[in-house]
Amino acid sequence: MKQPTGQISRLGTFKYLAQRFAFLSLIGMTFALMLIGKADTVIVERARMAVSDAVTPILRVMAEPAASISQFVTNVQELGAIREQNTDLRETNARLLEWQAVAQKLENENRQLRALLGTVNEPGAHAISARVVADSGGAFAQSVLITAGGRDGVAKGQAVVTGEGLAGRVTQAGYRSARVLLVTDINSRIPVRVGEAGDRAILAGNNSPRPRLIFLGVKSAIAPGDRVVTSGDAGAFPPGLPVGRVVVSDESSALIEPFVSRDRLQYVEVLDFGLTGILADADGPQ
Amino acid sequence: MTEITQRRTTWQKLDARARTVLPFGLTVIVLLFGMTPTYVPGLAQITPMYTLVAIYFWAIYRPDLLGYGLGFVIGVLEDLLTGAPLGVGALTLLLTQWIVFNQHKFFHAKPFAITWFAFGLVAFGAMLLKWVGIGLVTSSGFTPFGDLFASYLITVAVYPIIAWLFSKAQSGLLVEP
Repeated sequence: MKQPTGQISRLGTFKYLAQRFAFLSLIGMTFALMLIGKADTVIVERARMAVSDAVTPILRVMAEPAASISQFVTNVQELGAIREQNTDLRETNARLLEWQAVAQKLENENRQLRALLGTVNEPGAHAISARVVADSGGAFAQSVLITAGGRDGVAKGQAVVTGEGLAGRVTQAGYRSARVLLVTDINSRIPVRVGEAGDRAILAGNNSPRPRLIFLGVKSAIAPGDRVVTSGDAGAFPPGLPVGRVVVSDESSALIEPFVSRDRLQYVEVLDFGLTGILADADGPQ
Repeated sequence: MTEITQRRTTWQKLDARARTVLPFGLTVIVLLFGMTPTYVPGLAQITPMYTLVAIYFWAIYRPDLLGYGLGFVIGVLEDLLTGAPLGVGALTLLLTQWIVFNQHKFFHAKPFAITWFAFGLVAFGAMLLKWVGIGLVTSSGFTPFGDLFASYLITVAVYPIIAWLFSKAQSGLLVEP
């Protein structure tokens, strides 16, 4: 075999070694990043939010066509079912009017009883509206980016809702954007109450559309169809926000169908109750 | 006269430089595109791994313009933006590049069907690596495999579309090496 000679082969070897060195050091850096991320330092969070803040204006523009198309499709679909819907709405309206009377009566009664007991009213919520511009992570993570951040009063730990119920909670708040961890994410844990008895449990996400209930009492008798609401334990969330409905419950597990679907998230409201929450930390973005 | 020629060559240099960032730029666009909400029921759950497609494509056709360094940058950017554990995505993309660069003889000037089939194999390995990596790094456990497999199938299915768009961009804007 003929040995390649001269400058070229030496240069080739050098290039090969340099590339190999670059590859190995970059692999080392990914492991270093995993360790830093695992330690969950403030730096990683700041970096995430800096990147999100920078990219959100672009994502906002990119999300526009999909939103328009989705709006158009919904309009066409609704046009077909308009008569049917009208009848349904009339019926619902009649039913709701009855409920309104009941609610007014209860509200009066509640006010009187509160006055008798001398309880302090709960602080009212201040809602911040925001648009969902990115649904990220695919199968690996269930979180969305919204177009409101620290400048609008969004802070880590706040509850995020839609008209249907609880969507998730703010895990990172940047200046003009924030990340919302959905209730279905594998890292999501929410203290809840189940059914009329109000059994306490923790709703744990598992990256599937149906999160499950854990730490449910042994004697609790929950059944499919039971409503799940936030319990307000640990100060993480205001109590009573609707979360979902029990769909499967046997001895080993109970699965929940959340009221809010990841696919339909377009506009959300961030609730600022003035609660500090279990997530708040001293040096997080305010 | 000489000044004009001088200026033109400066512009030409700048233009040529701008064209060399095309693979990186397109990969970032594809990453952002994958993040935009589609509002189609069930689709967000099985979003294809767009960056993997892009990294694989450029590793075969323009390894000179998208090497390990930029691959690492894209991986970290993706991890930061998608909220995935930091480092795992970058590791996956780097190893994908490593495989393609080392088997350059196999991938070079092969018919499309073969590179597509090879992508199916590489992507499967990459998906498994990411799944195990994320499962080990986060303490919350492993993502259900069903959705992940669906996401893998869609990734393989979108490969021809993205490869077609990229090759159009390459023949239109990049000078052949």
